[in-house]
Amino acid sequence: MRYIPFILIIISPFLFTGLINKVKAIWAGRKGASVLQPYYDFFKLVRKGEVISKTTSFVFQISSSINIAATIFALMIIPIPFAGSIISLPGDFVLFSYALGLSKFMMILAALDTGSSFEGMGASREATFSTIVETAFFIIMGSLALLTNQISFNAIFSVLNMSAGYTVLVKILLVVSLFIMLLSEGSRLPVDDPNTHLELTMIHEVMILDYSGPDLAFILYATSLKMVIISMLIANLLIPSFLTLAEALPLFAFILFLVFMVVGFVESLIARLRISHVPQFIFLMTALSLTAFAVIAFFLRGGF
Amino acid sequence: MNYLLIGTIILFAGGVFALFTKENFKGIIFLVFTALAQVFILPVTTNILITGNQIQTQLFLSEPIGNSFLRLDPLAAVFVLIISIGSLLAAIYSTGYMKMYYGNRSALSSYYFFLGLMSASMMLVVIVQNAILFMIAWEVMSISSFFLVSFENNIVEVRKASIYYMIAMQIGAAFLITAFAWVSSSSGSLDFNSFHIVLNNSNTISVLLTVLFFIGFGTKAGFVPMHTWLPKAHPAAPTGVSALMSGVMIKTGIYGILRIVLISGSTNAKLAYFVLAVSLITGVTGIANAISQKDLKKLLAYSSIENIGIIGIGIGTGMLGLAYNNNTIAFLGFFGAILHVLNHFTFKSALFYGSGVVYSQTHTRNIDKLGGLIKHLPATSFLFLISSLAISGLPLLSGFISELLIYLGLINCFSVKDLSINISAVLGISGLAFIGAMALLSFTKVYGIAFLGSPRSKLHNQPNEKDSSLLIPMVFLVVIVFIVGLFPYLAFILLGNAVKQFLPASSFSDLAQIQVNMKLLSNYLLIFGVLIIFFYLIRSLLLKKKKVESFKTWDCGYQQSSSRLQYSSSSYAQPFLSLVSEFVPQKINVEKEPVLFPKEASLESHSQDFFERFLIQPNLKFLKKSLNLFSWIQSGKMQQYIIYGLIFLVFLLIWILGVS
Repeated sequence: MRYIPFILIIISPFLFTGLINKVKAIWAGRKGASVLQPYYDFFKLVRKGEVISKTTSFVFQISSSINIAATIFALMIIPIPFAGSIISLPGDFVLFSYALGLSKFMMILAALDTGSSFEGMGASREATFSTIVETAFFIIMGSLALLTNQISFNAIFSVLNMSAGYTVLVKILLVVSLFIMLLSEGSRLPVDDPNTHLELTMIHEVMILDYSGPDLAFILYATSLKMVIISMLIANLLIPSFLTLAEALPLFAFILFLVFMVVGFVESLIARLRISHVPQFIFLMTALSLTAFAVIAFFLRGGF
Repeated sequence: MNYLLIGTIILFAGGVFALFTKENFKGIIFLVFTALAQVFILPVTTNILITGNQIQTQLFLSEPIGNSFLRLDPLAAVFVLIISIGSLLAAIYSTGYMKMYYGNRSALSSYYFFLGLMSASMMLVVIVQNAILFMIAWEVMSISSFFLVSFENNIVEVRKASIYYMIAMQIGAAFLITAFAWVSSSSGSLDFNSFHIVLNNSNTISVLLTVLFFIGFGTKAGFVPMHTWLPKAHPAAPTGVSALMSGVMIKTGIYGILRIVLISGSTNAKLAYFVLAVSLITGVTGIANAISQKDLKKLLAYSSIENIGIIGIGIGTGMLGLAYNNNTIAFLGFFGAILHVLNHFTFKSALFYGSGVVYSQTHTRNIDKLGGLIKHLPATSFLFLISSLAISGLPLLSGFISELLIYLGLINCFSVKDLSINISAVLGISGLAFIGAMALLSFTKVYGIAFLGSPRSKLHNQPNEKDSSLLIPMVFLVVIVFIVGLFPYLAFILLGNAVKQFLPASSFSDLAQIQVNMKLLSNYLLIFGVLIIFFYLIRSLLLKKKKVESFKTWDCGYQQSSSRLQYSSSSYAQPFLSLVSEFVPQKINVEKEPVLFPKEASLESHSQDFFERFLIQPNLKFLKKSLNLFSWIQSGKMQQYIIYGLIFLVFLLIWILGVS
């Protein structure tokens, strides 16, 4: 029983990407592809062979597998209301962040492995922006640990209750902060544009130029799942701990949908930022999470 | 204890015997002696580590040293283990690496002699517990390593670097001598244990003394702003020595700091905050500078500074735990720090040995000239990859475990109801995360540029890795990296007793939970490993009957692609460096004709060390200027020197007459 929500999540990521595309299409006045289109693409890719660059080594070939394994491992750490998480440990959010870090390391190496200047550029940007995102993520987790006095995802979210007083402010700050993380890690607008990949402003998409077939399928899946994972964190933040099972789980699913609808809206309304402005956008995440920490510290520890 | 002394003497004897042998046998002789020393050293050390006992012997020496103790407690044993194994690996590596220098017999003799002397003196540093004997061992260690750094002294830069190193070490030693003199005159004894009464106070003097010790030991360890010697000395030294210095010798500075914390039983929160702040700055400075480097060994040296910072964050966290009477925090902090000492020894030595293989095959350390080495040096490349992943603190490997422990220590600080410790905890974890992400950037840079892609310049000879003596140390170290990374509770068994020394005995029962959690963590990590293998197998299955073509890299339709179009290390680092340009200043020289379409142009960029530029260099200039005022003393005129002698004799006469 406990694993059913996880299995649903594992098969769902492309549904959410399809949802984003649908929202964008409707917004642009088109009919748009089916919500299931990403699944068709996935299975098409899985059935294909591959073209592998002569310049590459084994690093290129193992990276996609490490990427998808790390993302699924990260999913296992994220709790779902009442089901908890599959893996829980004091400080498991460090494990979460570093497991994703491993996949990032390998994907960057895979990009450099091709010896292509485009992919080197993407790799360089990916590594640069992740320095900001990682730092801010740990400030978010520090704020939550301070607020709840707990040190694992599971324990934090099982007591978290931000529905009154100053915690509402904290909630807003952290949700917006995580949303920025979602946009940057999921390589969405305004950080990155998943629809084009031959322009000099690209980050994530340009890193995987040389991948094809099953490897590309793995990577597309991992990217979608990563977005779902971060939206799960947002949902966990928003759902107070006093809800019953019958209330919490539908709300959880609804919030996931809502988050991806919002991503679709954002993509329809905002143009991609100039690459030199992207760090400023991501720094917003740091600023918001630091503010959240300051607010918690102020109210919990009685002023400065 | 006697075994340990015998082992130390054998280490030294290896160097002496190597003096008198033929060129080709020097390395072998030295290796045999070093291996023999392990037989004496390792059993007693592991025994101490696992049982948690301590042993000591008294040496009856004449004044002014007096009777002094040699003690081996678990803390010292951790370092003895690293020193001993580190020396053995350096010896194995040197047999292959030093073949480059055959034909220069005297240089080789001095190399092995000082290598033996350095290993033996490092051993003494961690077991001697008498202030004067300690300083003697400490200085012998510094001097012998100075001679090793200046091995290639026909090169101007090496000479400069080694003298810079020597001066830095002497400044550090000056702080230590002051601190030791002060503390032993206040306590009335030269024995370390007697320092407890002086240091275990919260008055200004004991705080000042601890800070003096910290600066002295911190110079050796490479804490900012006393770190500037590392990126100069490490690239100058032969690789075996760089690995030994970076993996082992700088850890004696950490040992000193830990020893002082242990003696003082530090419960002063201010000191903890001081250590934490300095360490955070050290970590961030070290790795930010590493990102801007093109020289492989310089980059590794800066990364050592970063790791010393991480160790320092662990120590600071442990001290915070002691100050706030929270044993869990203290245990996690010190455990993380000590485990990171061991881990940094393993992966940093492996990285240096790898860089040595690269250097011996390509004769360049500039990663912008390399590329595609993975095709020619597959084993080295694989080992270097694992070590890079480990040093970036990524899971499945050892670096993750020690960083996780430090994180956990800091995260536990949130439960203490005190604003300042909460704020330092959030600074600590976000700082560690920042350091981790920057480490990812710098090591993807090294690996991606030097080992992957296609060659950026023509090499004279095809690189190869036929010499197995260069690979054996790396293989050994990488195996340890995996073992610690996957089975962290083994580290608990090995190092637990050393960490417990810092805590009151009553707290040990609370720590059982940590061991349980480490077993749990080990299971989870194994799940992770299985997942990776699982997906790789699926991928192989999917591709089994499919057509897998090999073709050139997708170049967006551009047909004139050349390997020089690849991203270089500077271009890879540029987006990040432009964000931190205030703290990692870059000097960029562009030369081109001032016409619309210049035919020739050149661009040169150099990064500068923030602290060196704004703190060290201005002070050095000031010193030079002020000391120049006294230059008339050294006029070079014989007559003047004779007058000095006369004046001295007159004073001596007056002194003797006056006294008698």
